[in-house]
Amino acid sequence: MQPTESEELVERIRDALRMIVDPEMGSNIVDLGLIYDIAVQDGGLVRVTMTTTIKGCPATAFLKEAVQNCVWYVPGVEYAEVRLTYEPPWTPEMMLEAAVGL
Amino acid sequence: MFGATLSRWTMSYFAAALIFLAIGEVMMVLGFGYPVSSIEAPETLALVHTIALGWLSLLMAGALLQFVPVLVGRPLSLPGLALPALVLLVVGITGLVLGFVSLAGAGSFSPLLLPFGATVTIAGFGLLVIVFATTLWQARPLPLPARFVAVGLGSLVATIALGGTYAFVLAGLSDTQAAIDLTLEGLSLHAALGLGGWLSFTTMGVSYRLLTMFMLSPDRERQSSRIVWALGAAALGIVACIVPMILSGSAGRVVLLLIAALAGVIAIGIYMADIVRIYRGRKRKLIELNSRAGIGAFAALTVATIFFLALAVSGQIERGVGPLVYLVTFGWLTGMGLAQLYKIVPFITWLECYGPLLGRMPTPRVQDLVVETRAAFWFRLFYLTVIVASAALCLDNASLFRVSSLGQLIAVNALLWEFVATRRLSNVPSNLRLSGGFARPHLFFPPFQSRRQP
Repeated sequence: MQPTESEELVERIRDALRMIVDPEMGSNIVDLGLIYDIAVQDGGLVRVTMTTTIKGCPATAFLKEAVQNCVWYVPGVEYAEVRLTYEPPWTPEMMLEAAVGL
Repeated sequence: MFGATLSRWTMSYFAAALIFLAIGEVMMVLGFGYPVSSIEAPETLALVHTIALGWLSLLMAGALLQFVPVLVGRPLSLPGLALPALVLLVVGITGLVLGFVSLAGAGSFSPLLLPFGATVTIAGFGLLVIVFATTLWQARPLPLPARFVAVGLGSLVATIALGGTYAFVLAGLSDTQAAIDLTLEGLSLHAALGLGGWLSFTTMGVSYRLLTMFMLSPDRERQSSRIVWALGAAALGIVACIVPMILSGSAGRVVLLLIAALAGVIAIGIYMADIVRIYRGRKRKLIELNSRAGIGAFAALTVATIFFLALAVSGQIERGVGPLVYLVTFGWLTGMGLAQLYKIVPFITWLECYGPLLGRMPTPRVQDLVVETRAAFWFRLFYLTVIVASAALCLDNASLFRVSSLGQLIAVNALLWEFVATRRLSNVPSNLRLSGGFARPHLFFPPFQSRRQP
């Protein structure tokens, strides 16, 4: 995959992930800064690294599964792998302006 | 594994707790217990235990089942003990309250219900202590809010040990000098460890985490919060140490109590400064109703602390203990409990109904499960009745107290109705209410096929 194609796919995935709204915060998980990294590899293999606002949040598994499903359905993605991390831990400073105004 | 499980029985604990609260409010409206009866009367003890055990302790237990895993970032150990503990607690607390009613001569119950109820209650709390202590032990080193919970659990153990002793003495089953001495002199320790340790100190610890979480305030452990923990733990430790001093007849107990009280007051002062900092440092501009309603509880804690200091300085603790305990129990603990229920109930309901649908179809936000403007009125009425009832107790006006309790009963039942509406998804826009063919959640029982998180 060419670098430009890869960047385009990352953007499409990021846009798709904006459909997932954190139920408590009421803003999408991209603007909240919960998506740390989207890595595209050859063959349409996508690795998403994400976090949640707090470690141990009861909604964690639902959010992770939602991200997995959402990425899977983006055209160009053959396989999606979602990794949950708390390094670094999420802080409110990671939110985009759009989410800060909640 | 980072996830916490959705607690299966938390809603059942909350439902039982709210029923006990409604019963307690009815008792106050009918004039059963203080201030119509004296503060030491069996009627008052029945009322106090309906509220402190039936309402506040079941509420705290249910909340901890859900939030201890959040505090420590690992699943609850031995979650299967939650249901037997609930059954034991409901049976035990009911027995205990009816035992006090029998002592008051108000019913045809046997006084033996008192030791029976106490024993069963202790067994229920024992199971919960095993669950929480095991979870905390496996999560060491503990974050600060969890250390508050650990001290709260220690206080609970001491409280129920003392309470069990009193139950056997009052029922005439124990006449050892040590047990009688403890009953005569240790009642204030029992109340201090229960209300101050188990219920208040645990609430303080959990509030550090919940408030920062819900308002997106800076989440780092502050030195001031560590001092609150150290002072509070020291104060409660001193109170607990007075128990063996009573048994051995050692002198110096009053001085130690004064030191513990001073440490407790300073801890509350620093805690309040921390809370103001959390509210001011929030990233979330809009404060949701649970956090707004919590402000009334913090105000009640502040007023109660100043009132306690005034009573202590003027040497009138005994005269003012009634309004003081009322303000702590209803203004601080009940106010905070109802305020946080207003967030926890929709949050759990959302997870139950919409969590599995997230990312597959449009789902409501947690806030869509509630109507804040309606509930805000009932919270205002609740706090107004707390103010009026506290004033009535200070003025020794039982009629005014009963009238304000009627207002409080109405407010509490209206909030209870709001929780039911949340569970019924009544406030959710109709197009999102039951998307995906999901069934309406049970009111207070868990789904029969629970979804466990990995």
